[in-house]
Amino acid sequence: MNVLKLLSAFLKVNIQMSLAYRADTVVNILLNLMWLGWELLSLGIIFSNTETIGGWDFGELIGLLGVFRLVHTLMIALIWPNTEKFNQSIRDGSMDYTLLQPINSMFLVTFSRITVWRAWDLVLAVILIIVGINVAGDVTTPLSVLTFILLTASGAIIIYSLWIVLIALTFWFTKFDNNVTILQALLDAGRYPVTVYPVWLRILVTFVIPIAVATTVPLQGLRGDLTFDRVLMFICIGIVSFLIASQVWKRGLKQYSGASS
Amino acid sequence: MLKIFQRLWQVNWAEQWQYRANLIMYLLYWLVSPIIYLAVWTSIAASKGSVNGLTVNDFTTYYMTLLIVDQITSNIVIHTFAYKVQDGSLSGELVRPIHPMLTNALVNNIAFKVLTIMGFIPIWTVLYFLFKPDFSSVTWTGILFAIPAMILGFLVSFLLSAAITSLAFWTTRVYSVHEFYYALMLLFSGQFVPLTLMPRLIQDIAQFLPFQLLIYYPVQLILGNLSSAQIVQGYVAGLVWLLISIVLFNWIWRNGVKQYSAVGA
Repeated sequence: MNVLKLLSAFLKVNIQMSLAYRADTVVNILLNLMWLGWELLSLGIIFSNTETIGGWDFGELIGLLGVFRLVHTLMIALIWPNTEKFNQSIRDGSMDYTLLQPINSMFLVTFSRITVWRAWDLVLAVILIIVGINVAGDVTTPLSVLTFILLTASGAIIIYSLWIVLIALTFWFTKFDNNVTILQALLDAGRYPVTVYPVWLRILVTFVIPIAVATTVPLQGLRGDLTFDRVLMFICIGIVSFLIASQVWKRGLKQYSGASS
Repeated sequence: MLKIFQRLWQVNWAEQWQYRANLIMYLLYWLVSPIIYLAVWTSIAASKGSVNGLTVNDFTTYYMTLLIVDQITSNIVIHTFAYKVQDGSLSGELVRPIHPMLTNALVNNIAFKVLTIMGFIPIWTVLYFLFKPDFSSVTWTGILFAIPAMILGFLVSFLLSAAITSLAFWTTRVYSVHEFYYALMLLFSGQFVPLTLMPRLIQDIAQFLPFQLLIYYPVQLILGNLSSAQIVQGYVAGLVWLLISIVLFNWIWRNGVKQYSAVGA
């Protein structure tokens, strides 16, 4: 099966759906800009009182805001809408139809809903990262940029895998509508470098709900704070967590009995 | 009338109790950002000695008190009411001889509040031992004065949100309007940082807006950081805003109900 073909079909459907609500899209983009303004203002307020927080300066925090927005976009454009659809399909039994398709069900559940206009957010995020790093004056080499990209990808995969595990739990506990709230709740912790947080919070957002692995860690890689072993470790964790998640998903599917039958 | 409220309370309490697992999740969601701000500002204060005269303990007590005050003054009316206008289920409530917003929705909010506070007390206690704030500046008179101030704050916040929610009679984009309102609240209420650390311009504008009544004013009242003149000034502002929000809400509500076409009915 051609995965790319399928993806473009999903995109097409989702673009059509969002075109039905054009004015909403415009309002959403304006609100999005408003929040960006607020985020920059709040950073401005913080840095009018200090030069660094947790060893990071203004530019680096703008960069971090960019990385945070990448993760945020992943959540808001892909994870939330698909969770909603998934929970619905478990409740009313329409999951049956997803399973009947001749394609990997995890893939279908991941990509069937895409909030298309959020692509604009990704562009904004990349601009923030580039501007931030330039303001900070950090020296970047091709190697550090590559490290950054790999760490961002593995961080995103780790969060994605956690999501898969959380929604797969719904197969065992049918009444588990809150499956992703914990992810949603702790997301905000990604706005600031974890080095600022007290130890218990740092442990929570690094090991339990690893938001920081997708936000702070990639920028640490870019700054050259991480040794080669560390970088390798994070990438391996990314791969392993994906494998675990797909296993949990498979086991979960065996548990699924269908709400209608 | 008292009997009606008693009945409404039973219904709404039972309804909220049914969703208690959601409440815990909601609490968690809502706790995170004040704790993050606390962590950020205490780390800055620790590295610099103090920020604009505020020490680590000042920030810790500020946010720990803010958690309580915000719990009391905030409301969820946009989430529990706007959809009723949109799907037409408000019709049944409109034919009853009681005001849907000022009785049912209000009681529902209070039931929600009481339940979340029950869940919130143990969490706050844990946070207390984690952050070890020194509350020695808090006095009983401060708390005594803060209680009516918080009730006033809740009424103002409830009526303003109710007014915005009533815009649902005209537009389906009422959630976007509310999001904008929420951003104003973040900016002017002292939610992000004690207002004295905000740029001068924002502080000046905040004086003329109701938002600091919800957070900054009660918090500083409890912490004993206000002079008696400031306390009086705050109460006067609170009463004025209560009056404004009553008039505003009534006006929007009345015109809105005339506009209402009961979708689906």
